[in-house]
Amino acid sequence: MFWQQVVNGVTLGSTYALIALGYTLIFGVLNIVNMAHGEIFMFGAFAGLVLATKFNLNIFLAMAGAMLAGAVLGYLMERLALRPLRRRASSHLAPLISTIGVAIFLESLALRLFGPQAQSFPPVFPGGLLDFGMFKISYVQIMILAISFGLMLVLRFGLAKTRLGKSIRTTAENIETAGLLGINTGKIIVFTVMLASGLGAVAGVLVGLAFNAVEPTMGVTMGFKGLAVLILGGLGNITGAMVGGLILGVAEVFTVAYGASSYRDAVAFGLIIFLLFLRPQGLFGSQEQQGGR
Amino acid sequence: MDFWSNPYYQQIAMFIIINAILGISIYLTLSTGQLSLGNAGFMSIGAYTSALLTIKAGFPIYLSIPVGGLAACLMATVIGIPTTRLQGIYLAIATLGFGEVVRVIILNLKITNGALGLSGIPSIGVSIGKQISAMGFGNGAFGLTVQQLGNFSVIVILLMVLAFFVFFTMRLNNSRIGRAFAAIKADDHAAEVSGINTTAYKLLAFFLGAFVAGIAGGLAAHITFYIGPKDFAYHRAVEILLFAVLGGSNVVWGPLLGSVILTSLPEILRSAAVYREMIYGALLVVMMIFRPEGLLSEETIRLWKNKLSRNTPAKAVDVTRRTS
Repeated sequence: MFWQQVVNGVTLGSTYALIALGYTLIFGVLNIVNMAHGEIFMFGAFAGLVLATKFNLNIFLAMAGAMLAGAVLGYLMERLALRPLRRRASSHLAPLISTIGVAIFLESLALRLFGPQAQSFPPVFPGGLLDFGMFKISYVQIMILAISFGLMLVLRFGLAKTRLGKSIRTTAENIETAGLLGINTGKIIVFTVMLASGLGAVAGVLVGLAFNAVEPTMGVTMGFKGLAVLILGGLGNITGAMVGGLILGVAEVFTVAYGASSYRDAVAFGLIIFLLFLRPQGLFGSQEQQGGR
Repeated sequence: MDFWSNPYYQQIAMFIIINAILGISIYLTLSTGQLSLGNAGFMSIGAYTSALLTIKAGFPIYLSIPVGGLAACLMATVIGIPTTRLQGIYLAIATLGFGEVVRVIILNLKITNGALGLSGIPSIGVSIGKQISAMGFGNGAFGLTVQQLGNFSVIVILLMVLAFFVFFTMRLNNSRIGRAFAAIKADDHAAEVSGINTTAYKLLAFFLGAFVAGIAGGLAAHITFYIGPKDFAYHRAVEILLFAVLGGSNVVWGPLLGSVILTSLPEILRSAAVYREMIYGALLVVMMIFRPEGLLSEETIRLWKNKLSRNTPAKAVDVTRRTS
């Protein structure tokens, strides 16, 4: 029972981590919290769903398509809602409010396009289950774990070793210096937003598979969880986002397993409000990085 | 006369005034440069406290609403002490989270009747109507029925509450506290170096905002007969934010204007109701791009004052555009 919950928690947590990574990437480079990330995640889930049901695509192809759709949405958002603000150099609250606007727009657009009811993916690997005695794990869970941890590893490696990754980290460190060093920061910003949105969209498909339900309101709920993880791990911290996601996933699953299932959605924020008392900079955040100071 | 006796218009007028009070609540927190998304949560605390006190404990309405405001204030202490030490984005997320936690708790408690919400909340209009009947005007007066008179008095009472808060806020702006708020908003660090206890003032602004939101929640509960957890969800918080963003958050008239526009617009544009949220979203983005300070700013007010004092109102048509 215990180990089964741990497995479920880690599976759920890996998707949270993937969502939180999107927030963290954008925060690192642009120093803003993208409140529309949850809605891009939701659109990704629907894009995957439409590709899998209407076009009968293989689930992996559908996921790639969703990633592409997410990246396109991210590009549009950067172009229409973020770049004009950067030119004006307005207050640090302006981009936050602007992305809230994008979030509301996308959510109600999804309601119009896809309807309010929850829809589900066609069954992937029906009945596939591995039994280890202590716990059981379904093929879908294995796929979710493999894809999200795979993506996280690729991202980790890419940021650490490749030229592009180094440019992203330089831009995150100091955008002006990065520009002086010959990095096209405008392009890096667009790329980062697209990458983050693509990751969010894949997470959308994975969550859709895990819960077997895709609905327009999932953007808000899951977006909030991602935000909680962002705070939990420390703003702009990649490792923090990964570990924070796993912690939240396990904490939620245990809350459900041991009684308080209806309080599930409060766990995330209860956790961060508690954490803010003790360590406002997050588990892995450094003191001086606090909230864009 | 027709306008004042039509219950539909009366209802809209009440909502406009309550939203205007909510606009003041977010103005108060924003006046120290803190973006709080928890006002919907404070509103729900005020609404539920007041409604439960009247239903379960038999409190009179005029007492339960202030108690609701105080309850919201108390909650602001618990939540405010850790969060006001935080910078902008942390505060926004923490207050957003607070709103969610409150919603989930209300959804799960027995006393709040969970997802079904509370119904049969004693209404201000009805109780005033009873008073009027008891005074011997059972058949109405001034050509209005008792119900219409009751509603009319509610509007007057709400206007008085609103006027009080506006007056309070304007007095506050000219006081030592208001100056401290403005200094913190302009530059947190510079204010701290000048010897202003920024944490204490931020906390004070947070309290005041919560109190006003709690009062607005109590008033809303006693006007609509029914409250449910869905009334105070994330969308409500965003709507309150929109009042300040559209109207302008630098002067108290801004959120008032924003709430009047955003409450009456959906009624005028009934046919476009399905696109309402989409329009709201696009409006937020467009405002941030073209006029991040909102429709009304300090310069706009100054320009208007100059125009009016020179008695040339005819030229004052397009000032809102020219100031940017």
